[in-house]
Amino acid sequence: MTSEETPGHRPPSHSLRSSSTLSQLTRRSMLGLAGIAVAGATVGAWPRLTGTDIPGRGSKALNIAILGTAADAAGRQGLIQAFTAAHPDIPVQLQAIQGADWKDFFSKILTMVAAGTPPDVVYVATEGAQLFADKLAEPLDAYIRRDGDEVSDYFGDVHPSLLEAFMYQGSLYQLPLDWNAANMYLNTTTFAQAGLDRPKDDWTKDDFSATLKALRKARPTDFTPYYWTNRLFGGVVPWLYANDTSFLSETKAPGGDWLWDRFYPNDPARATRGGGYQWLTPNAEDGRVVETFDYLRELVAEGLGVRPESGGGNALVGLFGNNRIGTTPAGGYWAQGLHEAGMTADQFDVQFFPRWRTQRHQFGAAGYAIMRTAKDKDAAWEWVKFCSTREAMQLAIPKPNTTPTRRSMVNESFYAATGPRHWKVFYDTLDRFPTSGPIPAPPQQAAVETALMKNVSTAVSGSSADVRTAMGNLQRDLELALRRNS
Amino acid sequence: MSATSTFPRQIVKPPAARRSFIERWLVGIFLAPTVLGMALFTFLPIIASLVLAFFRWDIISAPQFVGFANFAALAQDPTVRVSFLNTIMFVVVAVILQLGIALTMASMLQARMAPWLRVFLRSTFFFPLVLSAASVSIFMRYMFNEQFGVVNWLLSLVGIPAVPWLTSPVASAAVVVLVYVWQNFGFSFLLFLGALTNIPKELHEAANLDGATGWKQFSNVTLPLISPTVLVASVMAIISALQVFDQPYVLTNGGPGDSTRTAVMVIFESAFQQLEFGKASAIGLILTVLILAVTALQFRLSRRFVFYQ
Repeated sequence: MTSEETPGHRPPSHSLRSSSTLSQLTRRSMLGLAGIAVAGATVGAWPRLTGTDIPGRGSKALNIAILGTAADAAGRQGLIQAFTAAHPDIPVQLQAIQGADWKDFFSKILTMVAAGTPPDVVYVATEGAQLFADKLAEPLDAYIRRDGDEVSDYFGDVHPSLLEAFMYQGSLYQLPLDWNAANMYLNTTTFAQAGLDRPKDDWTKDDFSATLKALRKARPTDFTPYYWTNRLFGGVVPWLYANDTSFLSETKAPGGDWLWDRFYPNDPARATRGGGYQWLTPNAEDGRVVETFDYLRELVAEGLGVRPESGGGNALVGLFGNNRIGTTPAGGYWAQGLHEAGMTADQFDVQFFPRWRTQRHQFGAAGYAIMRTAKDKDAAWEWVKFCSTREAMQLAIPKPNTTPTRRSMVNESFYAATGPRHWKVFYDTLDRFPTSGPIPAPPQQAAVETALMKNVSTAVSGSSADVRTAMGNLQRDLELALRRNS
Repeated sequence: MSATSTFPRQIVKPPAARRSFIERWLVGIFLAPTVLGMALFTFLPIIASLVLAFFRWDIISAPQFVGFANFAALAQDPTVRVSFLNTIMFVVVAVILQLGIALTMASMLQARMAPWLRVFLRSTFFFPLVLSAASVSIFMRYMFNEQFGVVNWLLSLVGIPAVPWLTSPVASAAVVVLVYVWQNFGFSFLLFLGALTNIPKELHEAANLDGATGWKQFSNVTLPLISPTVLVASVMAIISALQVFDQPYVLTNGGPGDSTRTAVMVIFESAFQQLEFGKASAIGLILTVLILAVTALQFRLSRRFVFYQ
């Protein structure tokens, strides 16, 4: 028996304090201490997530952002490997960012900019070209002048209209790699049911109306002769262009001669080329704009066209593949989609958009833009330059899920597995209709698109008088939109 | 005397000051993550939003102080005006429907019913609440498609022509309300079910003996007894409805025109699409004030209508 155990013996005070404190450390206290210990051990031992794990932060790799999924990023591994083989000193990190559409993608890029982790290079479509050029992107002029001999092959293979879409105030900001015009897809099964042949190249808006009526007559129910969506590409704009107008006044900035004179001296449309498109004022109340909307309203009222909803995409492919749609505007990107939906090459075809006052087409394109904040702009340029080579573009676009900007790649073998039979329509659009223009997307594109979309649906859903009211509202909304800084 | 009894209890305890210190320290440790989280992700953004409302900021350029210019611009912006009107209309219709359906369903489930059926219905009514609003809205968008939707197909079977559910102003507003109420009434339903279960049976028996049955019994006995729950459910439903976003954004994108555009949609569009963070903050501030005012009004009115046992 120890002295402490002797009855009546008072233990030393330090020992008493020690045991009493331990007795006070009840379950809760012990849990707290255990929690702290575990947390401390975890923090100390684990290879934890830090700021440097965020793509673009603390890494010397060239950080490239694209719109897409992880699968899209994985699909470009061949491209990255080829680049790394050519430039072993430039590590590359590809970051796929998901988004419902380009507007959504740009919002996410801007959030990354705000967070201090902007990518070095971003794949930007026409919709955001001027937003990036105005605020975020580095002009390529100096690089192109310096490496002109290396990129002359690219310019020799790409239509100048596509490049003009990426000129902004006289400077070029992107080398477009893929593009699509709003051509007209035809469901040949339903055309055959209506006793219709593929329309002529110069078919008119009236021919189009007659085609829709014939399609409707052959399939009175559960079928839409003309399906269109409410968005900047393929919505109302192709009709406005065909009617030689637009909801925004279109002009061209001065400049750009440095590019045209050096790389496109023999361009038949050289005199019309400038320093990039400008959309500075609204034009919604123009008579032709009203006329165009009224035509689309009539199609809806007669049951020939749908009341357009926003979106489109995969659901539309399924409906077209099931022969529930007769015609719809889309570009070369649809060939692969329809093929994957089970359509054979003879079940669909493509034709130019119908003529109204003109047969000017709308197109959209995309390419890499170097961010002004890029850590190593020279390395970023090497990526942009490499991606514009034929070898790289073949790796990036192995299937017709878009149209390559290089004319030489748009050939029989590219569409051999998918169709359509008249695939030449895609690139011929630019040659036959050289005034074809890009999606009207000023730096305030998001506000402009919102203003357009919200007024399109009301304009085509009511009476002819409602069209004028809707155009008045569109004019007002566009004035507000264009007043914004960005 | 036993050995342990020789030690007075107060000797075993540590000094009060030390105990207090340890307890405070542990309390601090336990609370720290929550306090830190709330400070970083709730209070700081609120303060930042308050400040931003007086600036023009597009993320890219430096913020520029503009005083009350953002608020003045809102007064001139028809889209903002319409979106607030839409939101208020939506709140009125959706909350009345949500609470009405939830209370009706809860009352019906209190009636005689096989236990398995009660469990089944309870789970069924609550199920939509656990689904993602965006997923439900995407699904509903296909269902209500004018040309190819299931709803119009079913209507066509009984000879009703296709309804432009998502492309006409009235029908699209109705669909947004319908989808929202369908997904959210389950929560109010559970609250009401709990409240109804807690009413002593004797009260209903006494009411029956006094001849008060049906609506009379419901309005004079049941409703007063569950009025505190009605207050809580209505406060939560109104706050939630004032912040509606997912359903109109996915189903109609605010259209046609501005007919289903709500205040939170305009905040999102202003901030993340049009890069007008000052304007978005100003709208957010107004919406917060509106929510606070409506909630205060509800509590003020509750003094007259809510019966606490």
